[in-house]
Amino acid sequence: MIQVKGLTRRYGDIAAVSDLSFSVAEGEIIGFLGPNGAGKTTTMNMITGCLRATAGTVTVDGADIETDADRARKIIGYLPENPPLYPDMTVDEYLEFVYKLKKCTLPQEEHLDSICDMAGLPDVRGRLIRNLSKGYRQRVGLAQALIGDPKVLILDEPTVGLDPRQIIEIREVIRRLGQKHTVILSSHILPEVQEVCDRILVIDHGKIVADGTPAELSERVEGAEQLSMTIEGEPAAVLGVLRAIPGVSEAVATVEDGMKSIYRITAEPGADIRRAVFDALSQHRLAILSMQQVELSLEDIFLELTGAEPEPEAAPVPVDEVPKKKRRLFGRKRGEDK
Amino acid sequence: MNAIRKRDMQGFFRSPLGYVYIGAFLTIMNLYFFAICVLSSSSDMGSVFSNMLIVFLFLMPILTMRLFSEEYKQGTDRLLLTAPVSVWEIVGGKFLAAVGVLLVALACTLPWVVIIAIFGEPAWAGIIGCYVAVLCASAVFAAMGMFLSSLTESQLIAAVLSFALFLGLYIADMLSYSLDSGSLLGTLLSWLSIFTRYDSFMSGQFSFGNLIYFLSLTGLFLYLTARVLERRRL
Repeated sequence: MIQVKGLTRRYGDIAAVSDLSFSVAEGEIIGFLGPNGAGKTTTMNMITGCLRATAGTVTVDGADIETDADRARKIIGYLPENPPLYPDMTVDEYLEFVYKLKKCTLPQEEHLDSICDMAGLPDVRGRLIRNLSKGYRQRVGLAQALIGDPKVLILDEPTVGLDPRQIIEIREVIRRLGQKHTVILSSHILPEVQEVCDRILVIDHGKIVADGTPAELSERVEGAEQLSMTIEGEPAAVLGVLRAIPGVSEAVATVEDGMKSIYRITAEPGADIRRAVFDALSQHRLAILSMQQVELSLEDIFLELTGAEPEPEAAPVPVDEVPKKKRRLFGRKRGEDK
Repeated sequence: MNAIRKRDMQGFFRSPLGYVYIGAFLTIMNLYFFAICVLSSSSDMGSVFSNMLIVFLFLMPILTMRLFSEEYKQGTDRLLLTAPVSVWEIVGGKFLAAVGVLLVALACTLPWVVIIAIFGEPAWAGIIGCYVAVLCASAVFAAMGMFLSSLTESQLIAAVLSFALFLGLYIADMLSYSLDSGSLLGTLLSWLSIFTRYDSFMSGQFSFGNLIYFLSLTGLFLYLTARVLERRRL
């Protein structure tokens, strides 16, 4: 559906995006994951034709975004990071304007009605966009992207600035959209892309550093496990016991609070130390008040992924060819073990 | 193109700005009309209209400043640039919206014609010429203002730049009078001057040369605006 070949964008000497190539199959939901400034928005702007590429091509459903712009743009619905809204219009007026701007030929009333239902807007259609909350504005932005029933949806950080409930709602909407549309979304939040996307492209410094399904990626960066525990007992004694457990490479007290301190325990790669920790502590009559696996922060994963590259210029290595690194990509909360 | 024109015109009248704008224009112009035509019982609308362009010199920046600057600021230029419309349609739509507001303002002066028709002897050709001329000349200003608005995100900067440009043109026009009529610079300035050409329109001399000059100047700035929009993608 979307073919990106050698996409490069330079600002002076700085390459915001360099030599990006990937393709997206029809009906796929693909996630761009990367820290701020990684080149996600630049890439999206180039795919939508907002920004011209320094080099490389983008083809959407066979239409080149530069030479066959009108056709390509009709296929793409774009929600930029800041939804392009006119605050002085009502939702209805705005959507009607976009409908005409996009030269949409679907029956207007039914089409707009179904989009408003999809985006959860029916209650606010008569209100001025100026007076809408951030969450509703985001939905209006999404509705705008849906007008004309585009085959491809490009959503730049669709959940940024929303409260947790709205995030869940928007994710639900995106997942539903994924059944009919090809979706590219960007995010710097791991669980989000993991939950919604079929495939993830990790982008850093304008390059793809990893490409695969969430499962493949988490396998690739399977890592040393870290536990965060609250243990009742004298800190010195607790640390002594923890460090003596086979498989524990490091144990430190992160919050010292007398008899109820919090410790961070790092396991040696590949070792599951939870049972051993429990056994050792119970032997010494040290009560475990809580035990939790630590979620890796995005920075950790990026250090891991970018560090895994032999050379910064090298092309992205397909997931299955990379030697398995023992580190967990997605610190899934498995709940407390005991 | 029509969608953009409609949205921009409605946007102008959705805020109080549109009404204040037309109100200010009419107040000033009606004073001129009263002073020139009514008080001296003259049916010569040319003198009223020759002042109208000066009024537009002050009012036009306020009309054109928002055309593109506001879109940039709101991020809505993305919407326009990713829609299946060409930059020409965007520029054309915006320009026609500005001209549309001018037409509304001009339409509000039509009672003058009625007054003159009732109480005097209207010179129809002259009156029509006045309206065509002011429309053409102010369209040049509108295109210039729109071009300057396409350069900046700040409406204020766009307005100040436009005002400086219009005032500069006006001063250049005055300069052409004070220079020797035979000097190269004087001839050049008066040839280029929008005001000189406009006044020759007002004095009843219809010339295709002037009309073509206005139209091509408008076209030039529409073209430049379209180029700026394209450049923004680079």
